[in-house]
Amino acid sequence: MSFRSAVAASAIIILASASLAFAQSDCKTLVPPSPWGPNDQTGATNRITPAVTKAAAAEIQEGKVIEMSFPLTDGVPLFGTRFTKTILTATSLAPGAAYGENQLTYMEDTWLSQSHVGTHLDGLGHIGRKDCYFNQTPMGKYINQNNMTRLGLEHLKSFATRGVLLDMVKVFQAAGKLKTNAACRKPCLDGGTVITPADLQAALKMYNVTLREGDIVTIHTGWGDLFQQFPKQNAVYNSAAPGIGKEAAKWLISQKVVAVGTDTWVVEVIPGEDPKEAFIVHNMLITDNGIHILENVRTDLMADEAARTNRATFFFSMTVPKAVGLTGNFVAIEGIR
Amino acid sequence: MPQHTTPALREGRRRFCLSLLGGAAAVALPRLAGGQERRYTIAFANLTEEPGVTIEGTGFTGPEVRASFVLAARKLPIDLVLYDNQRDPKRALANAEDAIARKVDLFVEYFADPDANAAMAARLKAARIPILALNHGVPGAPLYTIDNEAAGRIAGEALGQFATRGWRGQPTVAAIVGPVDAKADRVPERVQGVMEGLRARLPAVKPVTLDTQGNPARVGALLGKFVAAHPGTKVLVAATDDSTALAAKSALEVAGRASDAAIVSHGVDRNIHGGINDKKEIDPNNRASIVIGSVAFYLDRCGYDVLPLALRMLRGEAVPPRTVTKHVLVTATNVFVEYPPYDMN
Repeated sequence: MSFRSAVAASAIIILASASLAFAQSDCKTLVPPSPWGPNDQTGATNRITPAVTKAAAAEIQEGKVIEMSFPLTDGVPLFGTRFTKTILTATSLAPGAAYGENQLTYMEDTWLSQSHVGTHLDGLGHIGRKDCYFNQTPMGKYINQNNMTRLGLEHLKSFATRGVLLDMVKVFQAAGKLKTNAACRKPCLDGGTVITPADLQAALKMYNVTLREGDIVTIHTGWGDLFQQFPKQNAVYNSAAPGIGKEAAKWLISQKVVAVGTDTWVVEVIPGEDPKEAFIVHNMLITDNGIHILENVRTDLMADEAARTNRATFFFSMTVPKAVGLTGNFVAIEGIR
Repeated sequence: MPQHTTPALREGRRRFCLSLLGGAAAVALPRLAGGQERRYTIAFANLTEEPGVTIEGTGFTGPEVRASFVLAARKLPIDLVLYDNQRDPKRALANAEDAIARKVDLFVEYFADPDANAAMAARLKAARIPILALNHGVPGAPLYTIDNEAAGRIAGEALGQFATRGWRGQPTVAAIVGPVDAKADRVPERVQGVMEGLRARLPAVKPVTLDTQGNPARVGALLGKFVAAHPGTKVLVAATDDSTALAAKSALEVAGRASDAAIVSHGVDRNIHGGINDKKEIDPNNRASIVIGSVAFYLDRCGYDVLPLALRMLRGEAVPPRTVTKHVLVTATNVFVEYPPYDMN
């Protein structure tokens, strides 16, 4: 390339970049600032202070660990072309391939997967409004072919806090308004059922719990039974979901929780309350308030445990990889009592 | 048997007793003592619940209409009683009688037979139950309806605009394809609208109608013959519904004329749009399609418009005698705005 054409090409690139910059949205008008300052990339996990974790530790009374994740395996409900696939490497098991006199062998895996599969965390870079993400971040400036350079999972603090289970199946049964889905083997709220602030408050009252700043709320709808029937009920599971509506989301935001999880793929009600809004609760929680969403949480075991012991709180133990620049990731959750 | 979304008949009976004291009392008492708005029992008698059977000359079905009422009622102080008129006048009258016996607060009637609607209106009026008519008039009742002529006009103008922008000066012909004479579905009104819209943009183009008599399989032969008779011209196609539009696209491809053609359709049903994984014809990733758009009829959302109107009536507010669907041209550019997909997580 000649010098002149190189200059011309550079000029075109600069002009193109400039027009891209002009095309960016004014994020200050679309997304509120973080209460933790203009440089905050952490969001609601800022609420998990040493005092919060210490107080949550008081929930560990019996040492009993309750599983709150679904198995991560081929065939679980996913949309479209998304997939999770593991490939085992076991070459050293071949005759003569073991190492040394001690005949060491080894195996490892290749894990090909989209990050938002199975029981997973939605990070702060998962959901935006136009090109604006949490804390007024103009995300167009912070993405490349591989990942984000802001709001990645590496910026999150610990999730070691108190978990609170809200059993919507019991609430709806008690109110005489449970409309279950025929595909659920156990009672469940049907797809499209809106969970209101009054429902959330009734669930808290049922177990005499008051939410505290820094809590993680897990909502049992029974819909997760369809996940457990994978792959047979995948289409039903993905076709709709019971979940929180906008008013319930507003109320949870006012309670200053760190995360909201359910045993559905989406946390919010689907179909949504307004057919022209898309995943509006995701916008409210993640984009506007830095509150994480946990999807496909296994809640039935904790619901059973809460019903048995009349206690719906637990120590929330969740591992989130320090995955640099990722928008979310599968997680392992245990409720410790 | 009717279906209830939530049983609230006790409150309904209380409301009925109040209504006997006069409409003014009901208007004056929209809220309960605690400040919480009272709940209303509204009956919705659907045209048909037959699965897969399309209505109003579109690709929508009765169950989709009913589902829109159920979904819309979630956020409103409404308990629904659902009926299936089964396109049968006797059944429709029996449903109205049942609703009268249940003392519902308001009756939403979706039925096409004028005689049955008149008889029903007389019975409900005698029982002091207000009526809201859906898509087909009921004497003395406000009407919410799709506006076929307006929708057709949008389609015609879209085609005309496309031609004036892209094919200026080139010979152009136009065809309106579908069950163009289906009066029961008011398709001729749609056709009339298309003609008006085209005339406004392309006065020299005289569209022809190609009647499929409701059978999309006829589109290939009809349109194939039409384009064969017009070699070397550009072809505008207004399809009266989305299935016809897809059949027209295939026919034009088979005839080797896809590059000469543009299609606009009516309905925006699930045949032509979908979620991010569906890869349907109207999709943000399919912007080069010759199906440039479809005019939305929103029959799968009409409950969101009708129930607020019903609430206004029950609260004693004036409602217009005729309220129409706000039809919009849905293209690859706005399809995910009008119909946000929810197949992701």
